Amino acid sequence: MLYAVMGIGLSIITGVLNIPNFAHGALFALGAYSLYSLMQLMGNFWLALLLAPLGVGALGILIEYGGIRPLYRAGHDYQLLLTFGLSLIITEGIIIVWSPVGMSQLPPPLLRGGVDLGITFYPKYRLFVMVVAALLVLGAWLFLEKTRYGAIMRAGIEDKEMVSLLGIDIHRLFTAAFALGCVLAGIAGALTAPIRGLNPWMGVDMLGIAFVVVALAGLGNLLGSIVAGLLVGLAQSLAALVWPEASVAVIFAVMAVVLLVRPQGLFGIR
Amino acid sequence: MRSANNPEARHGSAGTRPSIGGLGAISGPPARQTKQAWLAILAAVLLLPVFVRYAVATEIWIFAIFGLGLNLLMGYTGLLSFGQATFFGSAAYVAGYLLKYANVGVLVALVVGIAVGAASAAVVGYLCVQRSGLYFIMLTFALNQMFYFTAYQWTTVTGGEDGMPGVPRPAVLGFDVHGPLPYYVAVAVLFLASMAVMKRLVESPLGKILQAIRDNEARAEALGYDVRRMKLLAFVVAGAFSGLAGVLYAMLFGIVPLEAIGFVFSGNVVFATLIGGSGSLYGPVIGSFVFIWLSESVSTIWQRWPLLLGVAFVIVVLFFRGGVVEAWARVWAWRAAQRAPTATVRHDAAP
Repeated sequence: MLYAVMGIGLSIITGVLNIPNFAHGALFALGAYSLYSLMQLMGNFWLALLLAPLGVGALGILIEYGGIRPLYRAGHDYQLLLTFGLSLIITEGIIIVWSPVGMSQLPPPLLRGGVDLGITFYPKYRLFVMVVAALLVLGAWLFLEKTRYGAIMRAGIEDKEMVSLLGIDIHRLFTAAFALGCVLAGIAGALTAPIRGLNPWMGVDMLGIAFVVVALAGLGNLLGSIVAGLLVGLAQSLAALVWPEASVAVIFAVMAVVLLVRPQGLFGIR
Repeated sequence: MRSANNPEARHGSAGTRPSIGGLGAISGPPARQTKQAWLAILAAVLLLPVFVRYAVATEIWIFAIFGLGLNLLMGYTGLLSFGQATFFGSAAYVAGYLLKYANVGVLVALVVGIAVGAASAAVVGYLCVQRSGLYFIMLTFALNQMFYFTAYQWTTVTGGEDGMPGVPRPAVLGFDVHGPLPYYVAVAVLFLASMAVMKRLVESPLGKILQAIRDNEARAEALGYDVRRMKLLAFVVAGAFSGLAGVLYAMLFGIVPLEAIGFVFSGNVVFATLIGGSGSLYGPVIGSFVFIWLSESVSTIWQRWPLLLGVAFVIVVLFFRGGVVEAWARVWAWRAAQRAPTATVRHDAAP
């Protein structure tokens, strides 16, 4: 489910801004670390869970405004280099501010322990994450499908020139889309922290998976991102049961098969 | 500021690329330019060890070979690969393993490395050329990650996080390349050979087709070229170059570190190629020079040097797009303008 959240965020950025966002993984890690520090500071998990992604989103606005905006016409190579540079900066920044050593974060007391589902015993926090992620995915979908801003965003994916001809400030749309993608990455990171713990490179693994999800889904296809995210997550969990060492490789195997059968992605038209 | 008065600069790479032939098209007759560039490179090969340590000098030429391969994709075919470390690392591991456990000779190791680089590029490339644009970039990265994790977890062979140490550097045809200087000479010779091969390649009909794909993919396809196959071919050739560089790298340091197959390595070579100026034969050479020099100097300042490297990336992208070769070409054009005010000055600036 978290893969779907990452996937949607990246898909919005990729679709609307048409840039390769290699900082997405680092922003994910930053979300996790922000949660950790806010927890230390305030001791309130819920508030931290709310504030951490917003902080990441605010940073996203800064990045879009200062770094990406001058590069919209510059070609993917420079955009890639910029976001890659930013991911190095954020990752090293995390090492400096926190530490290179991995840390762990406990879930809030309410969500510790597990529940008996009859067939199996499942940690409460993981259930919570699943529910929250599902709600986020649903919320993002409703936002994009049912609200005016969502409609503008989808229009931006389809045809940027037309959108700006209709009198919509395309730059504000870009900033909003980037910030939204960053917030989603931040939430995913914050939610992950109590499950997998924190380390400065946690974002890199996630970045690869998010790219797979987006590539599977098809260009700017948000519903596709959800399905692809679930598919990848499912493939990985199943592989983890059968052959744990290969669970990462399985994700890429799924991608390879899909690409060979349907080069345009699961839901892609182009 | 710069972008305001130069229409080429505003479009960044997209604007510089159509000037096929890089330097030559903008300033001076190409033949003379080529000769000068070769002389400059030869002088650099001879003089470099005087100024920096042999290991650093050797690393510069290895990285330049790596960059040459990527440049064929990025500069000449318009394919931005963020996964070149896949082929670099795979070749380094396989050849390193053979050198270490099977006592093969250097020549065999080099051939194996090139073959592994090309073969892994064929597999990865086949998947990646199914998509274009952003997806292509993402796929190269994602597959790079897959190779990385394989190397990370296959500890019995690769040593995982510790890398694969103890890669020997046996003699070649009776020549002992164990010392730093002989190895430098060997690498420099291979670099010059790679350079010559790449020059032939980009000037060959195949090279022209690749450039046609870069400039207008739809038209190249309409002309009857199998674009995907051509792209894959470019990918395989680039992989072979990466493989060669990977083996040389393993033998230089006597170890295959896990980083050699990591995505940061892929990013570094993209940076080096861009900063030198992609789409020019000599760009990656200058870029590798600048990059190795930069990373050597910042890595001694501070343990967290990747941060400085990241800052350097951002600064270059925001303020020095176009790279060294383009900046140099502009100086050349300007000088030509000073000498002959009415002559061939405007043709590069006019849109």
